Amino acid sequence: MSEPAVTVVPGGWAPVAAGLLGLLAVTAAALDGFLTARATGAGPSGLSQPFGEVARLMRQRRRTTVAADRLLWRTGGAGLLVMALLIIVVVPLGEWTLFDLDVGVVWFNAMDVLAWAFVWLTGWGANSAYSLVGGYRFLAHGLAYELPLMFALVAPAVGASSLNPGAIVAAQRGLWFVVWMPVAFVVFCAGILAIAVWGPFSPALGVDVAGGVAAELSGVDRLRFLGGRYALLAAGAAFAVPMFLGGGNGPLLPGWSWALVKTVVLLCGLVWLRRRLPAARPDSFMEAGWLVLLPAALLQDLVVAVVAAKRG
Amino acid sequence: MGLTDAWGRLAVRHAHVLVAELPGYWMTRVAVERQVLARGWRLARSPADADILAVCGPPRPPLAQSLTRVWEQVPGPRTRVGVDSPRAVLAALDTAAADLLDTAAQRADGRDRTAEHGGTGRGGRRGGSTPDAYGHAGHHEPPHGIPLAAGGEDRDGLEMDLLRLRLGPVLAYWPAGLVLGCALQGDVIVDAEASLVGVDDATTVAADAPVTDDPRRFAARRCDNAVSLLGLAGWDDAASRARRIRDALLVNSDPDRPARELDRLRRRVGRSWWLRWSLRRLGPLDGPELARRGLPATAVGDVRDRLLAMLDRAADGIAGRHPAGPPLRAPVEALPDLVRGWDVATARLIVASLDLEPLVTGREVSRV
Repeated sequence: MSEPAVTVVPGGWAPVAAGLLGLLAVTAAALDGFLTARATGAGPSGLSQPFGEVARLMRQRRRTTVAADRLLWRTGGAGLLVMALLIIVVVPLGEWTLFDLDVGVVWFNAMDVLAWAFVWLTGWGANSAYSLVGGYRFLAHGLAYELPLMFALVAPAVGASSLNPGAIVAAQRGLWFVVWMPVAFVVFCAGILAIAVWGPFSPALGVDVAGGVAAELSGVDRLRFLGGRYALLAAGAAFAVPMFLGGGNGPLLPGWSWALVKTVVLLCGLVWLRRRLPAARPDSFMEAGWLVLLPAALLQDLVVAVVAAKRG
Repeated sequence: MGLTDAWGRLAVRHAHVLVAELPGYWMTRVAVERQVLARGWRLARSPADADILAVCGPPRPPLAQSLTRVWEQVPGPRTRVGVDSPRAVLAALDTAAADLLDTAAQRADGRDRTAEHGGTGRGGRRGGSTPDAYGHAGHHEPPHGIPLAAGGEDRDGLEMDLLRLRLGPVLAYWPAGLVLGCALQGDVIVDAEASLVGVDDATTVAADAPVTDDPRRFAARRCDNAVSLLGLAGWDDAASRARRIRDALLVNSDPDRPARELDRLRRRVGRSWWLRWSLRRLGPLDGPELARRGLPATAVGDVRDRLLAMLDRAADGIAGRHPAGPPLRAPVEALPDLVRGWDVATARLIVASLDLEPLVTGREVSRV
């Protein structure tokens, strides 16, 4: 590479990035509140949901259960938020980034695997049967979504011949990767839903096991866990923008605003999807993950590799 | 103080309510749900998630004890209200909101609990709302008073821990009064026994009349069961629709709109390939098996077939073609066999798919 694709901003901008992530998470929660209220067909608009929920949970007492493994329980609950923050460190916003990591794609992958530990520990730590069942459901989903997600990430990396998110954006100047890697994009979105325990991947928090992993969480612990889910959804959507949606490329507007607009649109789509689809039961999703998603992602990689080889 | 009050009001506007339905009070529970959602409140999934415990019906032993255990797990600020009829719902929820805002009383409640337990909001044991569901203790002193899980042979003949878990009586989307004592290996139910609590003659004089007298109420009950099944299947949008149809049937007099809405819901559920993929082959029952277990012939097929049949029966009810005669006997004895060998999620789907009448009407049910 002759010129760097992105400018690295000083670390002092990190709180701003965290604030942006927070805003995106609040947007997602407000939209979810609105859609829920609209489906209910009565009552207030639901847009105040994130603020009301924060007020409620900040006012609520923390509780614990008999013989809970408190350290691991609370580590898991707070971990999702940390994960989301670590992901956005390598996401370029237009031409700026906090950390121009040469292996940014691998970094994202390393972070998303942390969900296995954090969600499961939250289920395990409470020493409650429902929570534990929820935790294992997440692991079962994980066995099915993780490999397809990894191979979906391979496609843009091969297409751009780089693991650097900035370079991957630069490779999409002419054509967004989503156009010729649609399968990888869909599989990646499924992966985001899964690490955020969202929509079809919510059996780990299922109503049939009294809220599963979150069954025993209250007060600030619940707030951190639920906030972490929204933040992960937002961080995942933000990472999809440089991977598949051309990053900050777009007419008229400056790069950073294009990146934000694309993130918000994708995030809203993911939030909306929750209401449209029933849950994917872990055992049947295992079939879908290994027999459909994984071969599809591998085929996509093959096509991308052939195209990249011809070009190179 | 001003800030604390404003903070509290914002919090209470988004309260979460755990609804505990006692046998014979499903209409009251429905009215509570409707009011809760109309206020922009939410239905809680577990005691830890709740600010308000709304008990529908007068609790008597042994349900009173179960409710006390649930109440102990509500973190606080918390309040508990009893609702005995659909007419009492508005006043009860107003009282609950006022209680939650009473900061002084809530602080006192918190102090009392700290003194009692030596820790704030100390929750229940394994299993959330089902505290005393353990196997017997071994020879050693059990840690923290919780007996260790006993071992047993699993499906493959390997030794695996056996955990006892009670489903019910206070559980979302679960038939009121039903308790299913399960032995779990992993989340697979290897053994189960069903029993009824709080179901006896005294409750039949409760506020709710028998279901099948009134075709609209018959249809509303079918929709209510569909809400449970769709909710358990994780399809919130469809569950909300079924809930709206149910409420329209019970509150409004215009029969056309619910009928149209129900028709749309039926088509949407029938078309969903995702739901078909998710629910197919779960809990299959054929004609002879149904007859042997004393289940109605309408329960033939898998969970998805039963869901569609349930919605069809609701449509028949609205059209005035509901089956007459005494209500069907609740198939409580058949339940353990139906859920054995399935995981908890599937077992819950199977129980919900049976489209039970309120258990109180099955008076001849033997109490196990």
